[in-house]
Parts: sequence; C-alpha cells; structure tokens
Amino acid sequence: MRTPLPIPPLKTGASAHQKSYPAKTKDMIKVDLPKERAKDWKEVMLKKMAEVLDRNRSVRLYLESCVKCGACADKCQFFLGTGDPKNMPVARADLLRKVYNRYFTLGGKIWGKVNEAADLDEAMLQDWYTYFYQCSECRRCSVACPFGIDTAEITMAAREIMAAAGIATKYVTEVVAKVYDTGNNLGIWPAAWKDSCEFLEQDLKDTENIDIRFPVDEVGAEILLVPPSADNFVNIDTMIGYAKMFHAAGISWTTSTYCNEGGNFGMFLDYGNLKKVNNRILEAARQLKVKKVYWGE
Amino acid sequence: MVNQILFVVLPYLSAAIFLVGVLYRFILWMKAPVPLRIVTTPAPKTRRGVAWRMAGDVLWFPSLIKADMPLWAAGWTFHMLLWMVLLRHLRYFLYPVPGWVEGIQTAGLYAGYLIPIPLAALLIRRLATERNLYISILGDYFSLFLLLGISVSGFLLGVFFRTYIVDVKALALGLVHFNPVQVEVHWLFALHFLLVLVLLIYFPFSKLMHAGGLFLSPTRNQRANFEKRFVNPWDDDYPVSYNPENIFPPEKYSEMLKKPKSEDKS
Ligand code: SF4
Ligand code: SF4
Repeated sequence: MRTPLPIPPLKTGASAHQKSYPAKTKDMIKVDLPKERAKDWKEVMLKKMAEVLDRNRSVRLYLESCVKCGACADKCQFFLGTGDPKNMPVARADLLRKVYNRYFTLGGKIWGKVNEAADLDEAMLQDWYTYFYQCSECRRCSVACPFGIDTAEITMAAREIMAAAGIATKYVTEVVAKVYDTGNNLGIWPAAWKDSCEFLEQDLKDTENIDIRFPVDEVGAEILLVPPSADNFVNIDTMIGYAKMFHAAGISWTTSTYCNEGGNFGMFLDYGNLKKVNNRILEAARQLKVKKVYWGE
Repeated sequence: MVNQILFVVLPYLSAAIFLVGVLYRFILWMKAPVPLRIVTTPAPKTRRGVAWRMAGDVLWFPSLIKADMPLWAAGWTFHMLLWMVLLRHLRYFLYPVPGWVEGIQTAGLYAGYLIPIPLAALLIRRLATERNLYISILGDYFSLFLLLGISVSGFLLGVFFRTYIVDVKALALGLVHFNPVQVEVHWLFALHFLLVLVLLIYFPFSKLMHAGGLFLSPTRNQRANFEKRFVNPWDDDYPVSYNPENIFPPEKYSEMLKKPKSEDKS
C-alpha cells in the first residue's frame, strides 16, 4: 500500500534564502577550478554550456522533450519539504531550459517572450546557484517521467557550467580537495587510517579473542577493498564485518591509504573531478597489484 | 488563388518543414554522444529487453500509472484515440483502401468523436492544479487548443457538416501522388485541413517532438549491462593531472609503498 506524502501548496521563494556556502579559494585551487567567479562569467558559462550540449545527448534531449505534464512535479523531496515551486524537478530544469532557449534556439533568440526564454543575468545565476544545489541528484523524478527525463543530469550540467566560471559550493569542493590530499572524503590521513586498523585488530583480540587482520597497503593482495571512509571512522562495526568475512572466506585483501573512499563528490561538481576521484581507485588497484576491487558506497 | 495556396502550396510546404524539421532535430540529438551509462533501474540487460521496455513506454505509459493516475487516464486515452484516428485517416491517402483500414473505420470514427474529451481533461487539469498552472507555458496551451480545434472541427465535419468525401479523397490522393487537383469543399473542411497543416509546421519546433525524443532517452533505451566496459567517447579530453596543491598524488603513494613498513608512519 502506497501512502503518498501530502503535497504542499506552492510557496513561492520558500527556500530561496537557503544558499549553499560558497567555495573557498584554497579548495577551488585544489580542484583545478577558477579561484573565484570569473569577471566574464556569463560568456564563460555560455561557452561551457555549448560544450555540455555537444557532449551530452541527454541534456539537449531532455531540455527539448519535456511536455510539462507535471508528473514529476510532486516527486522531489525538496519540493515536498519546502513547497518552493522552483524545487519541482520540471521547474528546476526550466531554469536551464530558459537560458538554453534564449541562447541556443532560433525561437528564443528572436521572440523570447513566447518561447519561454530568459537571459542569463545575475538573478538567473542566483536561482541556478540556489536551486541546482537544492537537488540531491537522486533521480526520483526520472522514474516518474514518462520519457525518463532525468533532472539529475540537468543539475549535473548546470553545476558543471557554473564550476567552469568559478562558481561552486564549499561543501563539495572541500570534500573533493580532501580526497586529493588524504585519499578520502573525511580527511583521514594515512597514518590515522593505519592506526585505526591496528586498533581494530587489537580490539578484536581483546574482546573476542580472535586474530583477524585489517591489512593496509599490502602489495599483491587479491582484493582491494574500497569502503566508504566512514566505515573506518564511525561505522566501525561495518569495517569489522568486512574483515571477518574476508577472514572466514580465507581471501587475502587490503585497504589502501591512497584510496579509501567509495563515494565520489566529483559527481556533484564536474566531469574532470568525477574522473579524477574515480581514478584513484584504479591507481590504487594498479599500484597494489590486486586482482579485484570491492567497492562500496 | 486561396484554394491554390491552401490545398497545394501549403500542404507541400508544411510537409517539407515537418520532415526536414524532425530530421534535423533527430540529427542534433543523435550527434551528441552518451557519455555515461546511467539508465534508470531496474533496467533490462538485453536489447530485446530494451525493445520491450520501449514498447511499454510507448503503448502503456507505465511510469505515469505510478506517478499520476488521473494524468495517465487522460494522457493514455488521448494517445490511443489519436492512434485510431490517424490510422483511420489512412483511408483518404491510400487507394485501394487496405482491408484492415476498412476494419477500423467504425472504431476510428468513434475515437474521433471522443478525442476532445481527454484533451479537455488535460486542459482542465493544467488550469486546475496550482503546480501544473505554474509550469505551463504558452506552447502547452497552444498545442492543446490546436489539437482541440482539429478534433472538434473533425467531429463537426463527420456529424453535421458532411463534406463531399469523394472530393476530399481526390484532394488527398492528388497530393500524395504529386498531382494536385482543384476541388470545392466546405469551409469547415478547409479549416480542419489548415489546422492540421499548422500542426505539421509547429511540430518540429515544439515539445510535440517528445514523440521522437522518447526513443532516444538515455535513461530508457540503454541496457543495464554494467559488467561490460562502457567507454565515454570524449573521456580522453579530461586527462587526470595533479596540481602542486594536491598533497597526495600517485607518485607519493608509490614512494610510500616502496618504504619499509615500519618507517611510513608519517
Ligand atoms: S534528482 Fe533532483 S530534482 Fe529530481 S527528485 Fe531528486 S532532488 Fe529532486
Ligand atoms: S514528468 Fe517529464 S515530461 Fe512531465 S513535466 Fe516532468 S520532466 Fe517534463
């Protein structure tokens, strides 16, 4: 039996004030993005947008195929929670769609009013920054849509476009920067990772009187385990579970201090960082000469 | 003169705009690569499975059933009636009329009489719910009114203002065989005909292209064969490089691995 959440009445601008904290210069440098918002941000963004359109079938297709049926409108948790109409997936995508219509379609160029076009101005940018960072890229809306229009992909495109002009949030850039510094989202240094593993070994010996290893950086192990880093920090029972399982199965395994994070915040920033974060898994696997990677998140 | 434009020039012009426009849109869509295999799960693993999924999406709108039942009822009814009406109209363009087109004649007629009902329901729904009113744009109303205009004029033609059907068929066949003929028809038929031409012209520039977009939608037409390597065609444009500010690049890791175990507690 499905019991749908009550659908809130529209409250225009209800979550307009909830803006993510802007990225810090030090993190922007670490993630290879412009230090601050570019002076010619509009031109940079439009140029990036042209590139994004050429590179992603989904973006152009989804911008052009939406019939505004509203099936997705009440499916977004951010809309259900705030009632802000711009958090309806279709309206969120409209923020990009309007700019697309204005600069990339004939109708929008010559007669913007009837063709749902809008300039990329400061107000629009503020809306982008607010509402494209109020999407968790969960893709629930794409399940409801009769054409599978995936607003998460629109969100990804918009964030990529903003990032190119030096516009991003502190939360995301800081986490990605931490991965390049420590190998995980939480900023656990290699020494601390090893310490934690040794502690767990000792702990198991003391409490359960069993000898189970938590190998770190062992070249030649069969399996590289890439857990969510929190598993060796807060959810240590999960970490113990992995170790017991490998122990019972008699499989040689290891974690890596270079890459002990299965979550990829590059996904919330841009393609370059998405790839670079993922690349750490490959790199760790190669350097450790493992045969398989077990990877969770 | 007016006749000449309405029944000869405009039909060919709108057919050309329709075909070229649709083709252009498809080419633009297909030219862009699909970089990520992010299909909406649960998804089929085989091509055959994808074909089934697509057929389901085209004929049954399963996601709408779960998402919005009233919308599904109106939308699905409209689209199915539309199929019937379109197929029934084949009888004007084909000679001799195939048996199966004859067969659906009666059903198609009734479908045509009924089609304004789901259209009206869709329109009312758009106006009656706050959310849908908010997201609706001019094009949404234009499409609905255009389709309403076509279907109501068609209904009136069929029931009250019977046009001389032999002339209509002569006209249609003449156009199809690039041998247009001049006929005298009721003004209401001229209106019905004109609105259809407007629809043809409008189609490629509008959201009505969703009819084609569905088939290319990467979340629906991909397979969930994740065990097979999927390579992003432009992946090489993003080489992985570490800048001096990144304090744990791959080289540092190789060094760490080379050091004996006891030393590397740094
Ligand atoms: S992908 Fe974004 S817009 Fe869609 S439902 Fe999730 S949070 Fe909302
Ligand atoms: S469900 Fe799909 S077609 Fe309908 S409004 Fe949402 S994105 Fe557009």
